[in-house]
Amino acid sequence: MEFDLNKLKKRPSYPFETIAVGLAFSPRMEIILSEAKKIADACNAKLVLIHIGTKTKEKEKSLGDILFRNNIEERKIKTIWAEGDVVDTILKLCKLNIIDLLILGALERENIIKFYLGSIARTISRKAKCSVLLITSTSAQKPKQKVIINAGADHPKTMHTINTAFYFAKHTGIKEVTLVHEVHAPALAMAMADSSSAPEVTKLKKEYTEEETNKLHSMISKCDIGNLKINEKIIKGRPGYAIRQYSETKKADLLVINSPDTHLTFLDRIFTHDIEYILADLPCNLLIVHSRV
Amino acid sequence: MSKFSHNDLIVILTAIGTILILSRIISEMGRRFHFPIVMGEIVVGILLGPTILGTINPDFFERVFPKDGNVSIAFDGLVNLSVVLLLFVAGLEVQLSMVLKQGKAAIYTSFFSMLIPFATGFGAAYYFPQWFGNASESGTDIFFAMFIGTALAISALPVIARILMDMNLFKTNIGMLIIASAMFNDLIGWLIFSFLLAVNAGEESMGVGYTALYILGFGLFMLTIGKKIIDRSLPWIQTKLSWPGGVLSISIGICLLCAAFTEKINIHAILGAFIAGIAFGDSVHLHEKAREIIHQFVTNFFAPLFFVSIGLRVNFIENFDAMIVGIVLVLAYFGKVFGATFGAYLGGLKIKKAFAVGFGLNARGAMEIILGTLALSAGLISSKLFVALVIMALITSLTSAPLIRKFLQ
Repeated sequence: MEFDLNKLKKRPSYPFETIAVGLAFSPRMEIILSEAKKIADACNAKLVLIHIGTKTKEKEKSLGDILFRNNIEERKIKTIWAEGDVVDTILKLCKLNIIDLLILGALERENIIKFYLGSIARTISRKAKCSVLLITSTSAQKPKQKVIINAGADHPKTMHTINTAFYFAKHTGIKEVTLVHEVHAPALAMAMADSSSAPEVTKLKKEYTEEETNKLHSMISKCDIGNLKINEKIIKGRPGYAIRQYSETKKADLLVINSPDTHLTFLDRIFTHDIEYILADLPCNLLIVHSRV
Repeated sequence: MSKFSHNDLIVILTAIGTILILSRIISEMGRRFHFPIVMGEIVVGILLGPTILGTINPDFFERVFPKDGNVSIAFDGLVNLSVVLLLFVAGLEVQLSMVLKQGKAAIYTSFFSMLIPFATGFGAAYYFPQWFGNASESGTDIFFAMFIGTALAISALPVIARILMDMNLFKTNIGMLIIASAMFNDLIGWLIFSFLLAVNAGEESMGVGYTALYILGFGLFMLTIGKKIIDRSLPWIQTKLSWPGGVLSISIGICLLCAAFTEKINIHAILGAFIAGIAFGDSVHLHEKAREIIHQFVTNFFAPLFFVSIGLRVNFIENFDAMIVGIVLVLAYFGKVFGATFGAYLGGLKIKKAFAVGFGLNARGAMEIILGTLALSAGLISSKLFVALVIMALITSLTSAPLIRKFLQ
């Protein structure tokens, strides 16, 4: 398979012109396809269905039935049947077809062995060169109301992620989003322990919170928010874990985060990388925005 | 052994009370001039110890801080407990994922800020042991050389964090890079040092191979299965038990049990405490408030006892050797600043910023002093070299902030 990587480089993370869905012929395939259709229609995007595995009559019939029930016209979509290593083949096909958003079904939680070895959906999420939407079993088909965006103010990808999330929200009928910024200062407790007075500690913490709030304001002011209602929240804790907990507590429908900076490896699951806290136990649907910067 | 008498109790309570109050007063005075707290505590030790009080009024000094007997044993016990807890809180802040997260710059900086000072110290001590007052008849001492390498390679996360906080650099990229590298230096430094203490334990030593195997085995167990158990238990401990008593007693209890275990298998207790600290501190479930309370408990009660005790056991004037101090200082500055700067530069930082990283990591502070004290107790180094290490730790800590500022301006 030959593809021109230059077509992908610097390609903006939105609009979603081509959306792909990974088909696993699992019991939840219909729910995921129906969700994908809604998003594709809302974004006016082309839909590409990808299945890695042998093409059989039964599978073709099953897919045809699902498409029919969900009013998806076969002539308007592209269906790719391919064989090979599932992860590598999907990643290659996404590049080849200039996919902007890949939609996959995922269990909320994988068992520990699968987590460390890497399940298919999660492995793709770690490596994909396009944005990935993981749809969990319980959250599919719920109206999307509560959207939380991880707005790590110091990261160059964050502005792209926020803008992509706003684009997604506006096109899919979401009215309200919450921008969350995680504050984590390792060793700060140690630095303050022996030589800071109580007012100094309070002042320092207040200053840190204000500084982060100002950064959030500054980012929002640069975005086209349209009619969206924007909330802001500063939370303290380990990046990745804190926002996962916050999303779960707030019963969020969608969590939007930056894509990882580097290829995540097994080591990142041992010395847990931020995103791994979320992937280990998905609190809701997860949109990983690949900004290609 | 005689029973702990009414009089012994009065002496030890008076000694501890005096140490705590005096070190707080002197440290608070020093804080106005941006001196690290540990400096005030060492000054109190020098004032109350053989250097000043012991010279002016030896009888009184001997009565309050006797060298032998029950009070001395009890005080030694407290000092040992203090060092174990200090290593526990040092471990509490080591987050290995942070080094990976900081990427190439942190990996290069961590590696070279460890390797070059270690090689510098090791080379100097191996080929020129007489520079350190260690000219032994039995030839070159490889463990001594390794100790000097480790002593020059270690950084002091507490003082570095404080400096960055005061300079408002804490949450900047450069601040996080320095913190991540200091964490890595601490981890590797304490692992090597525990190994040195264990293989240097005379008849009790298990030999190089078994010591390395036990250290690795214990570290791996605690940072995988042990950490997982702690991670699972912490939410329950923090919500079902009294707050903050529950988390405080369980965490310190586990620290002491780990320390006892490593001491039992003839690796020093500090390793158990340090690794227990990492296992606790790396847990995402440990509340920030709990972390603060553990730090405050240890740094405001046990740290003064430990750092004052240093001045109580060594005469700083008698053991001051200008040549050893000079050599230690030159090697310390050269190795660390060059190593860390080189690493940061390779990692993609501009040269001025790389130098700021170099001087940031050069602060040795309390960690160096703890390391020196343990080495002195284990008979690895002389009192003269110990004094030189303490002076180096203080000078590197004091010069760190102005030198960072100079390169960041």
